[in-house]
Amino acid sequence: MSTQEELEREGAVALQTADAWVTIVWNDPINLMSYVTHVFQTYFGFTRHEAEARMREVHEHGRSVVSTGGREKMEVDVQAMHGYGLWATLQRSGE
Amino acid sequence: MKGFTAREGSAVAELDDEERMVIARIVADVGLLLGGEQFGMDAPVDRDAGLDDADEILRHLRGLAEALAEPDDPAVLRLLPSASREDREIADEFRRLTESDLRDLKVERLRTMWEQLSEDGPEWEVASGDAMSTAAALTDLRLVLGSRLRLDSDEDAERLHTEIDLATHALETDDDETLPVDPERVWLGMLYQALTWLQESLVQYAIGAGDGADDGPEGADV
Repeated sequence: MSTQEELEREGAVALQTADAWVTIVWNDPINLMSYVTHVFQTYFGFTRHEAEARMREVHEHGRSVVSTGGREKMEVDVQAMHGYGLWATLQRSGE
Repeated sequence: MKGFTAREGSAVAELDDEERMVIARIVADVGLLLGGEQFGMDAPVDRDAGLDDADEILRHLRGLAEALAEPDDPAVLRLLPSASREDREIADEFRRLTESDLRDLKVERLRTMWEQLSEDGPEWEVASGDAMSTAAALTDLRLVLGSRLRLDSDEDAERLHTEIDLATHALETDDDETLPVDPERVWLGMLYQALTWLQESLVQYAIGAGDGADDGPEGADV
């Protein structure tokens, strides 16, 4: 299982350099931790563990990169997050 | 009020008449805030007569003008946030492409909730498949209340809980002459807390229902 996760992470890094856009979710005092975790899990297909890690990153560090890819795909992801009431932005990777 | 629990493939909460009325009212208010038509049959008279083509066009024109600028109301901005903190071009492009769809999505979810709350009886039944869209609509209500309550940081949210505890204590001890906070703020804050609690129970239901549905009888995820 950890091998699979490592592979996925390497894949994600490769995508990041190729497509060069990211979706960031920002912390806010309204959204519930359980809700944010469940949204991450169901929308992005993260494992529960991964979804909780991203949620904690948002909560404790103020933001988390939740997806990487082309600009149009990031616009779709940001729109979905706004649909769920989460504040998300998109930007070029590395900015 | 009883939070959502699983019952025969649905999530069911129980609210008394007053609770239903108050929540239905805030649902309708947020729907209007998003530019939706008045929910229900009791539309104001001036709107009743005017649902013709000209009004429809005016409404679209107004929507177009609004879509090109950031909303002035911070609560609306929280429902339809900017997709970039620094890059105006990205933010405007995103708003032009998505704002109308996002408004429609949010208004429709609220309309569904309003209709459910307008039915007779204490039960509020949400089908399993609608649990997360209902939780999202509850988020929108809480975002608007949170904006009105000026909850901008985690500390603000904690302070609100303290204020409500103080006010509740003052009321219980008949010491409300020296109530340390604005009663309207306390009322809104208690409504916010009730919606938070309802949403949390619905999310817990969705997590449980999802685990059951996605993993099959084996519970393969563990």
